[in-house]
Amino acid sequence: MRKLDARKITDKHYQVDMRGWMCPYPKYIIESLVSKLTSGSRMDMLVDCPAATDDVPKVAQALGCSIAGSDQIGNGEWKIAIIKGTSKNSFF
Amino acid sequence: MFMKKAISFFCASIWKKSWPLWIGAVGLALTNIFMFAYARAIGVFPQMAMWGSWLYYLMGLSVDAPFTQYPRTPLYLDMHSMINFGLILGVAIAALLSREFKVRTEDWRGCGMAVAGGILMGFGTVIMPPCNVGGFYSATMALSLSGPVAVLGLIPGAYLGGLLLKRQVAEAAEDIDFDALPEGKPAVKKPLSHQPVIGLLISVLLATIALLYTYYGKSKFAGLLLFGALFGIIFQRSRLCFCSAFREILVSRNGTVMKWILLSIAIGTCGFSILKSHGYQPMHFVLPVGLHTVVGGFIFGIGMVIAGGCGVGILWRSAEGYVRAWIALIAGMLVSAAWVPLYGGHVGEGKLYGKPFSLGERFGWINGTLIVLLFLVAFYVFIVWVEAKKK
Repeated sequence: MRKLDARKITDKHYQVDMRGWMCPYPKYIIESLVSKLTSGSRMDMLVDCPAATDDVPKVAQALGCSIAGSDQIGNGEWKIAIIKGTSKNSFF
Repeated sequence: MFMKKAISFFCASIWKKSWPLWIGAVGLALTNIFMFAYARAIGVFPQMAMWGSWLYYLMGLSVDAPFTQYPRTPLYLDMHSMINFGLILGVAIAALLSREFKVRTEDWRGCGMAVAGGILMGFGTVIMPPCNVGGFYSATMALSLSGPVAVLGLIPGAYLGGLLLKRQVAEAAEDIDFDALPEGKPAVKKPLSHQPVIGLLISVLLATIALLYTYYGKSKFAGLLLFGALFGIIFQRSRLCFCSAFREILVSRNGTVMKWILLSIAIGTCGFSILKSHGYQPMHFVLPVGLHTVVGGFIFGIGMVIAGGCGVGILWRSAEGYVRAWIALIAGMLVSAAWVPLYGGHVGEGKLYGKPFSLGERFGWINGTLIVLLFLVAFYVFIVWVEAKKK
């Protein structure tokens, strides 16, 4: 599969570009990525699969993250902002 | 003022947010009952296999279409293909009105997955037969024993495919180290194009085609085209995906989607049984059943997951702009259409296939319906048991 385009925006704020990765790839990768984030960090995931806008927040919340927003950034493209460890259900 | 509010509510509730799964489940069941009463139930792969026989014909090779009930016919004169065309148009309309259409390209590995998925689905559909929606969803509603039996192959197949996808993302995630990432700028919001306008134009095109068929005395064609479009809109907006329903039961130990599909089948079964018990097409969608049903389901299950959708799923995704679905569609068409020369007979003929078995004809329509409902309850209990084992 294509290499993930990930970048640092500011301290504790990252962006992972999953555009071009159809569902269910985005929801399957969340657990690995969240485990690598430090608590309180924010990861913006860019997706272009409509189902990911439902699935990704659900999986992230089950992992103890909170969703800071899910916005459409273009035709068929969305940005989902995930913040680690701010939910009471945190597993990490 | 009121009109403006009503229009804005209509746009926001129907096209901006996805529909709840229960609306999709009930909507699909009712549409399938009404379409059966009108002409036939939903199933899409045999038509695609017939399209594949056309591709061979255009290459100068004359091969028989694998399903005898779907002989090679000019596509615009094939009533069954209208469901597929309608589904594609319906999905395109829904995706464009919701601004969810995008041409999603693939790299060479993604294209390879599409080809492999299409090949496996192509073989799966002729061995099972036919596809996930026709062979499980409609067949179970139709009181065909093959429907429940197909599950025995589809679940492990979808699980295997799902593990492969999980491994691929695990490999991709391995390289990510958040402390060592290069700095970059955040993604910028792009201006939205006029997708809803194109969606409305396609709606006009759909209505025009339906009117033309009616004008030329083929109202059944028009009806099936519109039913197909309704299916497409429900699938696209509710995101009720049969492929993910089978995949997620064991991969994520989450059977939410499948539970709604089971409810959908329960509703459909009651409707189909009433119609069939009155002598209306009693053997419709009653399919051959045997070991081939499980083996075919297993092959189809792997294929649909790595292609990103079952028969309906790849038609749906192709209309949303997924290049992987386009490739899988062509591969699936060509492989399934090659079945007659490869096997030496049509689907359902010869030693490979068992005989069609109708639970309604064999045990009576009430008992047959109760057996199917019992199967649905057992499947539900199995899902709850699997979910309970989640760590």
